[in-house]
This record gives sequence, structure tokens and C-alpha cells, in this order.
Amino acid sequence: MTCAELSDIYELYALGVAEDDEKIEMEAHIARGCETCRLGLADATALNVGILNLVEIESPPSRLKRRVLASIGVEKPGWGWVWALSAAGLLILSLWLGLQERTRTNELADARNQLMNTQGQRDRLNQALQFLSDPQTQPASFGRGTNAPPRGYVFLHPQMGVLLIASNLPAAGAGKAYEMWVIPKGGTPRPAGLFQSDGRRGLHILSGPIDMAALGTIAVTLEPEAGSAAPTSTPIIVASAS
Amino acid sequence: MTLFLKMSLASLAFAALQVVMRAAGDSTLIRRLQERDPKALSEVYDRYGRLVYSIIYRIVRNPSLAEDLVQETFLRIWSRAASFDAEKGAIGTWVLTVARNRAIDHVRSTDGRLQAGAMDLDRLENTSLFAQLGTDALSLDRMRRLQEAFQKLTPTQRQVIDLAYYEGLSQTEMAERLKQPLGTVKTWTRSALKLLRDELAGVAIA
Ligand SMILES: [Zn+2]
Repeated sequence: MTCAELSDIYELYALGVAEDDEKIEMEAHIARGCETCRLGLADATALNVGILNLVEIESPPSRLKRRVLASIGVEKPGWGWVWALSAAGLLILSLWLGLQERTRTNELADARNQLMNTQGQRDRLNQALQFLSDPQTQPASFGRGTNAPPRGYVFLHPQMGVLLIASNLPAAGAGKAYEMWVIPKGGTPRPAGLFQSDGRRGLHILSGPIDMAALGTIAVTLEPEAGSAAPTSTPIIVASAS
Repeated sequence: MTLFLKMSLASLAFAALQVVMRAAGDSTLIRRLQERDPKALSEVYDRYGRLVYSIIYRIVRNPSLAEDLVQETFLRIWSRAASFDAEKGAIGTWVLTVARNRAIDHVRSTDGRLQAGAMDLDRLENTSLFAQLGTDALSLDRMRRLQEAFQKLTPTQRQVIDLAYYEGLSQTEMAERLKQPLGTVKTWTRSALKLLRDELAGVAIA
């Protein structure tokens, strides 16, 4: 296709909605350094953003700013900001509480109070919060499939490892557990730990350095409680490292 | 389902005003983001947070999901600011594009629409593209022209614009959704974009 023919779809290409054949043509022009198409795409991007800018204005809740800033660690990780109205903090906290209640039901009639006072749990939660607040952490989202697929986040950090937060995740069931897999680009899945869901959410941390450059995919499968050496079922969560 | 862009003149005037308010100081802001100054992200939020939320909300139509995606947008801005060219930077255009793409990505993934889309959008957020735009891409003059141009679109033209920008549909997908021949959809889209482009022509991007 010529530049003139492509000029009809500059905006659509920049929006990621061009047809596959048009994308290929467009990318060929970009790859060979076509100046006409480069300038055309820049104008198209400006038009696209101009159109987005005409959206009807809605007011976000004021807590949202605190939540955004908390997620990059503006407020230091610690109990202070967990109790602030940080939805991320509350999510982690509530699902962690859920996990605890599930595994230690008898003891934890007053789970919340005890949790706050238990060093080990505090560390675990702090670890998750630190993960979320470090600028090197890279988010990758997942959530595809049909009815109500698990939704959530995978965060990657070169030193801290992998943090997975899944919502809409059913309980694994008797004798079963969720197993996370770290799959290097072009490699085979490596076991990355077992975890449970409280019936709605699951939280899992793989601690330790990871090779971000070699990492391809994080996946989760349902496995026997003791775990498997290789996945034995279809992944229910797949997140690609970008 | 509301397929048309709802654009009261009042909200447009307000949006245009917001653009003017945030016109200055992009390059300093970008440099501070690159230096990992959290206050810089706070300023980016002050300037664009409402628009980011509005765009995402317009796409997902769910307040709590919109909040999740706003957070994801700003995390991405924070983690990728290093690649931005602070000299030329038009950070607003990048921020709004990232916001729209996060929301479209989400809608596509819950629809079970192909995963390949996510990679496309990721690549299209390449910051070098936005560095070429200059800070006037959202100038008051341009926004006023665009707003006037929008009034000239026919209902079908607005509909296809809406489907491309806020639902992330390709022309083939639009044809299916609207039960119209592909050729018809292409004509509507092409003419709508041409009208908007032509109305903007002559208002230079610095
Ligand atoms: Zn070309």
C-alpha cells in the first residue's frame, strides 16, 4: 500500500484497531523509516488524544489519588498507609485475612486483632506492600477467558520476585491447591509455589531475584495439594511479561 | 447502550479550560518523574487524574473497575517515564493514551478478544511517538476546532468514532456489531476522520 492509501487509517492504527493486513503494511512503512507515515502518525496520535480529551468529565473519588500515590510508595509502607483508604492495601489485607481464616479457623475468632499483632503476618503483608511500592516493580495484568475469569495483577520485581493478586478465583477444593509457574521465554514451566484462594481471592509471592529479561509468562494451574513438578491442567491464569 | 459521545457544551468548555490550565511545564515535570520524584506523579495526577478517570470510566462504565485501571495507568506512567524525551515531551498525550489503552485492554480481555491486541497497544504506547507531538497537541485552539468539528458529524459517523475510540473495535468488528456491510462502515469511518482532520488542519502543533 502507498502512504496515501495508508493515510486513511493512521488514526485507527494508532488506536490499535487497524485490520491485520493494514497493520502489517503500516509497520513496513515505519520499519523503513517512511517520513510521511511517521509525521502522519504523529498527527493522528494528536487527533486521537484530542478526541479522548472531549470525553464527558466524571469526578473520581478523592481517595483515588491517595491510592495511586500509595501504590508508588509516596506514603511509606507500613501500617499507617494500610489503614488509609488504599484499596490495594485493603484488598491484600482482606484476602490475607481470608487465607488465615481458612487455614486456622478454630483459633481465629478474632483474626483481625491477632493478625495485626503477629510479626510473621505483618512481614508477609509488608512484603506485598513493599513490592507494590517499589518503582522497579512492573505490573502485568491478566484476565481473559469466558464467564467471570480470574482477574488481577502480576507484579514483577528483579530482586523481590513475583507478586500475584487474583480476584474472582474460586476455592481450589479438597486436596487441591493453586500452583504458580514461571515460564522463561522459550523454556519449560518451573514450579513457583502453591497457594489457596479464600473462595474469591488469592495472593501469592515468589520471593527472590528473577531474570526479568528471560521471563516470558507467569501462569497458574490447579494441582494436587502437594504440588506438581510440571503443570497437569490447563492454566487458569496467564500473564505475559512485557 | 449509549453509542454516541455525550458531549454537553458545558463539559466541553470545561475540558478545554482544563487543557489550558495544564499547558505549561511538561518538560520539567517529565524530568522530575524520571528522577523518581513522587511529587511529580502527584502533579501529573492533579493535571490529568480527572480526565484519565473520565476516559476509563467512559470505556468500562464501572466505578471500582475504573479506579483499578486508573491506578494501573499511573503505575505504568511511573515505571516507564524513563523512556520519555523530556526536551520535547507532551506528557498529557501519553498519559491519556495509556489510560485509554489500559481500559480497552481490559475490555478486550474480558470479552475474550484476542490477546494479540494487548501487545499492539503496548507497542503503540512507545513514548518516542509522543515526544514528537509538542505540548500544544491539546491547545485550546485545537480543542475548540475539534469540538466544532464534532458537531458536524452525522450520527452514524459519531457512532463509528465512538466504537473505535471507546470500545476498541476494528472496522470489521464494527460491521458485525452494526450489521452493516464493511464497505459502508469504512465509508463512515473514513469520512468522519477526514472531517475531523481537515477541521484541525491549519492549527499547527508546535
Ligand atoms: Zn509511508
